[in-house]
Amino acid sequence: MRIRELIYRCAGIFHPDNKLALLDDRCKRRIKVLGARSLKDYLACLTSSPVRQTELTALLNEITIGETCFFRNVAQLDVLRSTVFPAIVQAKLKSRIRCLRIWSAGCSTGEEPYTLRMLLLEQTQRELKDWSLTIFATDLNERSLAQAREGFFGQHSARNLSPLYRSKYFVPHEEKLRVSAMARSNIVFRRLNLTDDAGMAQMKAMDLILCCNVLIYFDLESKRRVLRHFHDSLLPHGYLFLGNSESLYGVSDEFHLIHFAGCTGYMKSARPLTGSKCK
Amino acid sequence: MTAAPADRQLLLSRVADLRKIPTIPAVLAPLMSYLQQPVEGLDVQTVIDFLAQDKSLAAQCLQMANSPLFGRWQRIESLRAAVMNLGIRHVSDIAMSCSVLNMLPQKSGLDAIVFWEHSLGCALVCRRLAREVKVVDPAKAYLAGLLHDLGIVVNLWLLPVEFRWAFEMAKAEGIPLHEAEQRALGFTHCESGRLLAESWGLAPELIAVLSWHHSPQESGRERELVALVHIADLLCRMGGLNYGYAEKRQVSLFEDSGFALLTEGSNSLKKFDWARLTFEVDSYMDEVHGLVRAIYRG
Repeated sequence: MRIRELIYRCAGIFHPDNKLALLDDRCKRRIKVLGARSLKDYLACLTSSPVRQTELTALLNEITIGETCFFRNVAQLDVLRSTVFPAIVQAKLKSRIRCLRIWSAGCSTGEEPYTLRMLLLEQTQRELKDWSLTIFATDLNERSLAQAREGFFGQHSARNLSPLYRSKYFVPHEEKLRVSAMARSNIVFRRLNLTDDAGMAQMKAMDLILCCNVLIYFDLESKRRVLRHFHDSLLPHGYLFLGNSESLYGVSDEFHLIHFAGCTGYMKSARPLTGSKCK
Repeated sequence: MTAAPADRQLLLSRVADLRKIPTIPAVLAPLMSYLQQPVEGLDVQTVIDFLAQDKSLAAQCLQMANSPLFGRWQRIESLRAAVMNLGIRHVSDIAMSCSVLNMLPQKSGLDAIVFWEHSLGCALVCRRLAREVKVVDPAKAYLAGLLHDLGIVVNLWLLPVEFRWAFEMAKAEGIPLHEAEQRALGFTHCESGRLLAESWGLAPELIAVLSWHHSPQESGRERELVALVHIADLLCRMGGLNYGYAEKRQVSLFEDSGFALLTEGSNSLKKFDWARLTFEVDSYMDEVHGLVRAIYRG
């Protein structure tokens, strides 16, 4: 329980009662690696030892490890499809701007931006016909980005793919699957440090930002800095989505918590769009 | 489909024929009446005697009393142990929960299990919120959350076909059930709930909750309790404790009229971590699913 509170206070990721077993398991893995004697010793390691920050990062890595895959957060994707994209389209139709700009901040090896692209390709047939679409996919790690650009993925990444998406947007390549040329289009991969003010200032006029399991690694001051940039980057009707059970409580007052069916998100403002131009 | 004014009157007159609705178990009415007095005047053995009259109710109470949702992690084997460990008020909450579970018609358009999962989940969130608000009694909030949708039971018994239209419309369009009822029937389960609550002679605060939980600003009395149930209901419907379908919309609590009513009297709620509560509500899901299914089938 105390480790849960610590993780929530420092990283903003909450483990409800039904996920406590998972947190316990991840702590035990770290205890084994460190040779600690008990959870009590491990808590001391997370709170008072000189390596506490390093250990917190190691524990967060254990918590989020292996999570990356296509269509990871089903509830969030359903909400994007059923509620968020239509709301953005409505807001932009008023100003006759037919472009959609999405930012996957901390995209790692690319599963998230490719998932969004596939989702949008399906949506394009309907309400997004004739719209210009750009997905900005940024990460700090050059090696992850290179892998993302190549678009080759193992079966683990593809475990949530429905047969329809698998056959429509992937090409088998030896033991792996490669994202089809169509699904690789309209995605701009770019190296970006989220705390780099100059780089962040270039990310403008976004309709939607997804930043999942990234802010959890930042200290409070850095989180606030990144969120100020996100705030500047989003259009007035824009949305920010974080990872499952991630919260901005105590971090930022510039975003409002929004409830959707089965997940939460944030909005910077409820004001209507007033003629912002796409770049 | 929208009900014309004449149809609305016709449908309402059918709803007013409440004799067809099953009543709460015979043991519960005197128990509830007995529990109206201050807690210090209550006798544990009297409460146990009331509950022991209905063996099936007693067994269901024990099953529920053993759930972590009611704060117990050690096995409770008898009604006496339940009352001693959980307290009289808590056990009466559990008895009421078990009783209302048996009120839905078996063949209804709305899955009875899903409906009661929502009601039980709402009761738990109400109790959790009441502990934060501090101006509403948690036991009262629990009962209000549990019973807030009794009007749906009325509609299911007395207007099964028409209510099914409304439910299917809500599901297909992803809109709140009360909006679909308004369009299909010309009134909502709030009106049906008020009729039932008045006919049963429920406490005034419960009548207010059943009548106004979708429009708390219109409630003349008990506005904090009504607003609290409104918010808890919203959190459950937007989370996994909905009526079995997703509402395709976004909700900003801070712009909700019920939220303003609830927080104006409570400074602690203004700084409350609503995101965390939302994650906690999701964690109730597994336990609520298991409990309701076990009791319903038991």
